[in-house]
Amino acid sequence: MAKTFLGYPRENGTVGVRNWVAVVSVMDNCNPVTRAICAQVDGTIAVTTLFVRGQYGRDLEIAYNTLAGMGRNPNIAAVLLVGLEEQTTEEVARRIRPAGKPVEAVHLQPNGTINCVAEGTRRALRLVVRASNARRRSCATSELMLGVQCGGSDTTSGLTCNPVIGRLSDRVVEEGGTVIISETSEFFGAEHLFAARAASPAIAKAFTDMVVRLEREAMSQGMDIRGTNPTPDNMRGGLTTIEEKALGAMAKSGTSRLRGVLSYGEAPSSKGLHFLDAPAPAVENLTALAAAGCQLVFFGTGVGNPIGNMVSPTAKVSGNVNTLRTMADNIDFDASDILEKKASVGAVGDRLYDYAIEVASGTRTSSEILDVRETAISRFAPTI
Amino acid sequence: MPRAIVLHRNDNVATLIDAGRAGETCSLQGESAAEVKLLQDVPFGHKVCIRETPAGADVLKYGQVIGKASRSLKAGEHAHTHNVESARGRGDQAKR
Repeated sequence: MAKTFLGYPRENGTVGVRNWVAVVSVMDNCNPVTRAICAQVDGTIAVTTLFVRGQYGRDLEIAYNTLAGMGRNPNIAAVLLVGLEEQTTEEVARRIRPAGKPVEAVHLQPNGTINCVAEGTRRALRLVVRASNARRRSCATSELMLGVQCGGSDTTSGLTCNPVIGRLSDRVVEEGGTVIISETSEFFGAEHLFAARAASPAIAKAFTDMVVRLEREAMSQGMDIRGTNPTPDNMRGGLTTIEEKALGAMAKSGTSRLRGVLSYGEAPSSKGLHFLDAPAPAVENLTALAAAGCQLVFFGTGVGNPIGNMVSPTAKVSGNVNTLRTMADNIDFDASDILEKKASVGAVGDRLYDYAIEVASGTRTSSEILDVRETAISRFAPTI
Repeated sequence: MPRAIVLHRNDNVATLIDAGRAGETCSLQGESAAEVKLLQDVPFGHKVCIRETPAGADVLKYGQVIGKASRSLKAGEHAHTHNVESARGRGDQAKR
């Protein structure tokens, strides 16, 4: 029997696990308006950003694609863009429209802050009323796109939360769904094992090329990356090298074949396991996963990193007994039975799968409820 | 008695899942059932060397190379950043 969850079917065949109206800043100078509208209107989420203005070339494309990708995410019922002027706003709007959802916009020029907030608040109100007509229905789990991430890792991550998330990944892929793993630098030392799982030599090469390119870029700075990755808290948690961290991090991907490789700002065009080339820090990486279309992210943590994403509900999994005690408010799923009670990864992973279906069906995560959520789009070049 | 996990039979380090004190005997689990006497305090989650490892030799965990010993390691020694070096992302060692 096909496995199901309760989701929001969308016009274009995708399924949301949440039903929000996204108020999206087209550039950084719009953030105050975005925040003011969201403070007034229940049922909205604020997707703010830094820069965009002054960016050009590849960076500007990445910024437009990432903002639009978050707008297209199936968790979003409708989008209200907050722009400074119409031309830039249109660059984002035209990338969201093919998803078939309402896309509206308000502008600071020539209306000014107060009028823009007022007009945006009215529009957001109407969009939320319309969005609230949607009802959850039984949907196939093959419609799920799961992002997997780790942050605030320690040596328990590779022993508990990451392999348990790997079991969840395998279940989602077995049921015809999609899983995205990213954090390119966290394959340094494990890339040979992951490349061996590629469905074709071309996919293996595309993945390996991304890892090699990033390592070369980092090395061109003339420094040891240790201290940045692994971070000081990773090392305090017992992780000694990036190789050790990578071997534990890769466990989140489970055991299935690697079906595709994506650039930052890109979305998968097929099901199964994908690799996304994105920087490892949590906020930036979660943003890339949300823009790729992940409806939810499962995030393994050892020493603890509470941050989540606005668009993709982010569930924290830890198997570190100390963190589960000191940061209990921030952790959604306890995987400590593996070390404390010798429970199998498979058994705890199957429990995590059941929990993931509940999250997909509406159970809220700590990072959503506490609103510990942030957005950051990668920037690779200076602004001008 | 503090516990430590050995993930692969070839590994020369084990990961402590309790905090260990110098002089305590640490019981190994997983791919080994031996014991090792801790020569130093080893915090929760940190690694202990379980086999003599000469300077420059590979340090193995998960049966994979996680770095090189930057000096010789004795069984029972805390194995971490002070005596294990990464081989990756080493721009500081790159030829200019």
